[in-house]
Amino acid sequence: MTDPIKLINVSHYYSQGLPVQVAAVKNINLTIKAGEAVGIIGHTGSGKSTLISHFNGLLKPSEGTVLVDGEDIHKDKETLRRSRFKIGLCFQYPESQLFEETVAKDIAFGPGNMGLSDSEIALRVERAAEFVGLKRELLSKSPFDLSGGEKRRAAIAGVMAMEPEVLVLDEPAAGLDPRGKNEILRMIMNYREQTGSTIVFVSHSMEDIAATAERIIVMNHGEIALEGTVDEVFSHGESLRTMGLNVPEITRIFMMLRQRGIDVPSNIYSVEEGARILRGLAEGRRG
Amino acid sequence: MVRDITFGQYYPGSSAVHKMDARMKFVLTFGMIVCIFVCRNFFSLGLMVLFTSAAVAVSRIPLKMILKSIKPVAVILIFTGILNIFYTKGGETWFSFWKISVTEKGVYTAVFTMIRIIVLVIISSLLTYTTTPTMLTDALERLLSPLKVFHIKVHTLAMMMTLALRFIPTLIEEIERIMNAQKARGADLESGGLIRRAKALIPVFVPLMVSSFRRAYELAFAMTCRCYTGGDGRTRMKQMKLGLRDFIALTVCLAVLAGIITLNHFFPKVI
Amino acid sequence: MAEKLIELKNVTYVYEADEEGEPGYAAVKDVSLDIHKGEFAVILGHNGSGKSTLAKLMNAIYEPSEGTVTVKGIPSDSEENGDKIRRIVGMVFQNPDNQIVATIVEDDVAFGPENLGVEPSEIRRRVDEALKTVGMYEHREREPHKLSGGQKQRVAIAGVLAMQTECIILDEPTAMLDPVGREEVINTIRRLNKEMGITVVLITHFMEEAVLADRVIVFDGGRCIAEGTPREIFSQPGFLIDHGLDIPQSAQLSNALGFEECALTPEECVDKITEMMGGAKND
Repeated sequence: MTDPIKLINVSHYYSQGLPVQVAAVKNINLTIKAGEAVGIIGHTGSGKSTLISHFNGLLKPSEGTVLVDGEDIHKDKETLRRSRFKIGLCFQYPESQLFEETVAKDIAFGPGNMGLSDSEIALRVERAAEFVGLKRELLSKSPFDLSGGEKRRAAIAGVMAMEPEVLVLDEPAAGLDPRGKNEILRMIMNYREQTGSTIVFVSHSMEDIAATAERIIVMNHGEIALEGTVDEVFSHGESLRTMGLNVPEITRIFMMLRQRGIDVPSNIYSVEEGARILRGLAEGRRG
Repeated sequence: MVRDITFGQYYPGSSAVHKMDARMKFVLTFGMIVCIFVCRNFFSLGLMVLFTSAAVAVSRIPLKMILKSIKPVAVILIFTGILNIFYTKGGETWFSFWKISVTEKGVYTAVFTMIRIIVLVIISSLLTYTTTPTMLTDALERLLSPLKVFHIKVHTLAMMMTLALRFIPTLIEEIERIMNAQKARGADLESGGLIRRAKALIPVFVPLMVSSFRRAYELAFAMTCRCYTGGDGRTRMKQMKLGLRDFIALTVCLAVLAGIITLNHFFPKVI
Repeated sequence: MAEKLIELKNVTYVYEADEEGEPGYAAVKDVSLDIHKGEFAVILGHNGSGKSTLAKLMNAIYEPSEGTVTVKGIPSDSEENGDKIRRIVGMVFQNPDNQIVATIVEDDVAFGPENLGVEPSEIRRRVDEALKTVGMYEHREREPHKLSGGQKQRVAIAGVLAMQTECIILDEPTAMLDPVGREEVINTIRRLNKEMGITVVLITHFMEEAVLADRVIVFDGGRCIAEGTPREIFSQPGFLIDHGLDIPQSAQLSNALGFEECALTPEECVDKITEMMGGAKND
């Protein structure tokens, strides 16, 4: 089976040709496999956004090739167009893309551009709304009358309704309060479980990444600095810190406990798991 | 990237022209543009060219930048030249073919007009090259403040100009963002006829309007919070003071005007 | 107790129904609250809990529908008093782009004092000082749209500092920033409070920021539902989560382990756990 996204030696320069060429990303080699959940982390300006804009061909690499399902995405206009629907890209603050009279029409915008039949579009709108937990009565409302969190979900549904092979989300929870954030994360994981789609998401929150991703890509100065499973990447606490990043707070606690000579694992990413281990350990000591 | 956009075409520097009071620059630019049209022959126009070259030299704006400012009017320049060569008749005929003839007067007028346009463009871009947009709006506000007598809200107009300058880059960034988001949903913004394209812009235009209104609303709150109540009782951090160099510039300009009138008087007119 | 700077007594604020048939609703209900001189207060609440409305009531952008808001004894019941209050209480908003008015950083910082009619030389002095305080002096001649989010917010803070208000209200100033920008802004805010004695009211839903406060006020459904030190608030497991909020993982872990007082930082948490284990093995 071919990989849904493959980047070969991709570099992108801004202001190409000028004396000061700024490389936004350079020499990226990256494969996103079918069904994976990949988290991308990196501080602002590390090239994350430039990187994901290459996935669906919004940006054309200055050097290198982007393959979607094994096909060069920039081969011709038709391939590019098809790739847009295969790789669903949802930008930061996606609610700023809402424009239609009703929520349903807005969610239907993507599928409509795909040239699907009306009945198929209606079906997809319904399914997408369900994934994001938008109540049926909201669908006939104007998207501008929704609350902040609902707008965000409607916008994500607009991308989900294209039923892409890969759903790419740039900080889907940015600016939301804790409840809103948790809802969005749960919704994305739920979507993945039910559809088996591949998920790529960018986040600033190490806690969120640890809770949702299987594999992590760390961007720094336009290059992939670290890549691997959650355990592998978070075991490099020191180098993450030099890149302006960190490990989740709970992981940090366990790393410090280990340094104090307490025999606990350091790959702990949830409070429940951590508490269970510590309770067990305390009982063992007492007993 | 949009972030790199610099508005107006200010070219940073610390020359005497940069340091001049923006109000004086404004007035003198206006005055010298009038002077261009006072010129009646090549001698007075020559003086104008001389003055302009001297001003450019003093401002230390590179020649490349000056040429860049002429580029956008190149078409108008050529068009005016051709029109004048063929349609102004008089004096000796230098060249004639079928119904077309080129006369002495035609050539003179064409050259004269073209030089005029070039000088005009250089003088006005010298103002924008050496003055920041903020200083320009500020100068305009102060120069027009006597109009308050006629109940014209000069301060409000200047404030609107400043805010427009401030928000243009922000809005361009926003447009780019929305366009990308819609393209990712398969919107085709580039192909099709005029009507199709215009229709394809609705998904960009509507969100832009919505966000602009929200910005305006929030900005109004922010300005109220910073005690903005209009132009009355406001002071300014940056005072504008006329200095020695402003009066020297004024004297030079008056001398050029006197020279032009004298030269116009003593030599035959071309136009 | 220190002197009261802002006093809210039984304040209710109702958004009126509009012509398009949107029903009116009370965003703030019967709130009584004092902000003391020199304190660092954090108001926590989920989106739509009424905390932004509360902020706008505190600096007289809104007049209360019922009850009274007074700032240093001045009631916010007229346009004139509103102007007076805003000279005492400054405000910084969430979106850094929508509060910067000038095309050059220093001109923007000067905007407030210019409106107050301060002498030009004094404005220059205040602007330079404010920019130095927030660490943006070397960027004073840059254009705001070329700055990062954290830098823009610091310019906005400098704009309030130059007005020399006694109190700054910050309405989710870090919600749109990345972790680096967030830290820049929070460190700046802390410095203003600790070193310059400026009263700070920080509205946020980031729990890490609440940890730094002298006092946390929890808001939900337009009401003030809890008030106390960060430790008191975070020691009640489940309470904040029920109100659409969260608590830092250090506090969560210490609550899960049944510590009487929760830890606020990972370091504190590690200390407490080590103690629970009866000291480290190799001690």
